[in-house]
Amino acid sequence: MSSDAVGGASASVQAPARPASARLSLALQRHRRGVLGTASVAAFLVAWQVVGSRDATTADLISYPTQVVATGAQMTASGELGRNALVSLQEFVYGFVPAVVLGIALGLAMGRFRRVRYLLDPLVMAFYTAPRIALIPLLVIWFGVGMESKVAVVFLGAIFPVMVNTLAGVEQIDPLWVRAVRSFGAGEWQVVTKVVLPGAVPAVMAGVRLGLGRAIIGVIVGEMYVAVAGVGRLVQVYSGAGRAAELVVLVVIIAAFGFACITGLRLLEERIAPWRRELEV
Amino acid sequence: MAARVGSLAAAPGLRLRRAYLRHEAATLGMIGLVGFAALWELAGRLGWINPVVLSSPSRVGDALLRQVRSGELLRDLQVTTVEFLVGFGIAVAIGVAVGIVMGLYQDAEFALDPFIWFLYAAPLVAFYPLIIVWLGFGFWTVVAITVFLTAIPITVNTLAGIRSVDPLLVRAVRSFGGTTRDVVTKVLLPASLPLVLAGLRIGIGRALIGVVLGEMFSANAGLGFRMTFYGARLRTTDVLVPMLVIVLFGVVATQLVRLLEVRLARWRQV
Repeated sequence: MSSDAVGGASASVQAPARPASARLSLALQRHRRGVLGTASVAAFLVAWQVVGSRDATTADLISYPTQVVATGAQMTASGELGRNALVSLQEFVYGFVPAVVLGIALGLAMGRFRRVRYLLDPLVMAFYTAPRIALIPLLVIWFGVGMESKVAVVFLGAIFPVMVNTLAGVEQIDPLWVRAVRSFGAGEWQVVTKVVLPGAVPAVMAGVRLGLGRAIIGVIVGEMYVAVAGVGRLVQVYSGAGRAAELVVLVVIIAAFGFACITGLRLLEERIAPWRRELEV
Repeated sequence: MAARVGSLAAAPGLRLRRAYLRHEAATLGMIGLVGFAALWELAGRLGWINPVVLSSPSRVGDALLRQVRSGELLRDLQVTTVEFLVGFGIAVAIGVAVGIVMGLYQDAEFALDPFIWFLYAAPLVAFYPLIIVWLGFGFWTVVAITVFLTAIPITVNTLAGIRSVDPLLVRAVRSFGGTTRDVVTKVLLPASLPLVLAGLRIGIGRALIGVVLGEMFSANAGLGFRMTFYGARLRTTDVLVPMLVIVLFGVVATQLVRLLEVRLARWRQV
């Protein structure tokens, strides 16, 4: 999949020059991805710094990297960040963990029993495709402005992707495997634990990953809509005040949390299903 | 499970059973939906739940009629549709263009990769207050949020589509003297269309979230705005009506793209 084959336009290969510079350009060529990636990010940060710190107006509008770092340090030191992050994290965990457990269980039930699947399918798909954030005003009416409504947002956001993907994972398992295990005298429990669950791991994990994104969005948007504490509430407060530096700090923290969760999930998947690694090239 | 069904039954019963089995999915699905609605209605009527807080299907139906008659629903739907179309259109243009450039020039891909990855992994909703700070309240903020949320999956899918093109096809066009433009319009775009369309399908959901979100926080019209408006007045029934319309909107839009995909798949097989 070299670019020459597809585009043929990027081949600025070095001419046979002196050995030292040739070696250098060869090294550059080999690590082209890393070099270009780092260079573009660095260029972006420098441009941001230069443009942002030019005068007070642009600094208010887009901030600049050194100001963001200083603001971040200050928000951490004052405890403001830690306190609110803890609230958001609690809401996330209380909603997400039950959603994953229940989602897998219901997805399994739907995958194993045809009638259950037929009965629930339209309902589940309706909830799956409904924009979850649209539920937020209702959930606030039902559960109040505190943590409960955000836990409910997270739960409802995460459970349906997990359920739908678990169902898909169970359905794509070769029936031959199930029959093979059965013919050796396995009961339903053993079929589920020995064949169905391990076979569905990649699909389940894809669902968990999808649910994770929706859960994080749910916490933040839920808190932005109405809350007493949390990262999303900070976002709302600072956006009302038009404070770009604080907002960038919060955006980076939320993004970093999402990124960490997804990386953690990938590591977890490699542990539970090490055989998968061979498939991913 | 179905093997023991009706092997010894009488003829009419057998036929009925066969008809049931053929439409089992649809029948049970309808039962599930109707049962859910009936239970909801009944719970309100019997006083198990408070219908003012949790509403009921008949109340939602009444409110739907009322909002249609007053013209409010259609006005909101129109605002939301325009914002959706403009935002989605811009996102498709940007996403496909960037995806093609990244697919054509490896250097561009290497340079843009970190940004795309960051934006793909990060919950983009968090950027929305910054957009309000930049663009203020109203139409363009809603459009910008929509573009922001939608362009990334379309870019990623377009890139994947272009990578899946057989390099031999590109070399064939080149060796007959085709320019880069020929390569793009005659080979890359048609060949990567299925993956691009899949990206569009994912994009619809995200664009809809973008529009609704934008309207919830920074607009004075549209379905999303209507939901916050009624939500703040604790009117569950009136919140459910625009929500229902949004769900239907998403289903219709997704089905349209899927139809396009099916048609295209047929053309590709010939």
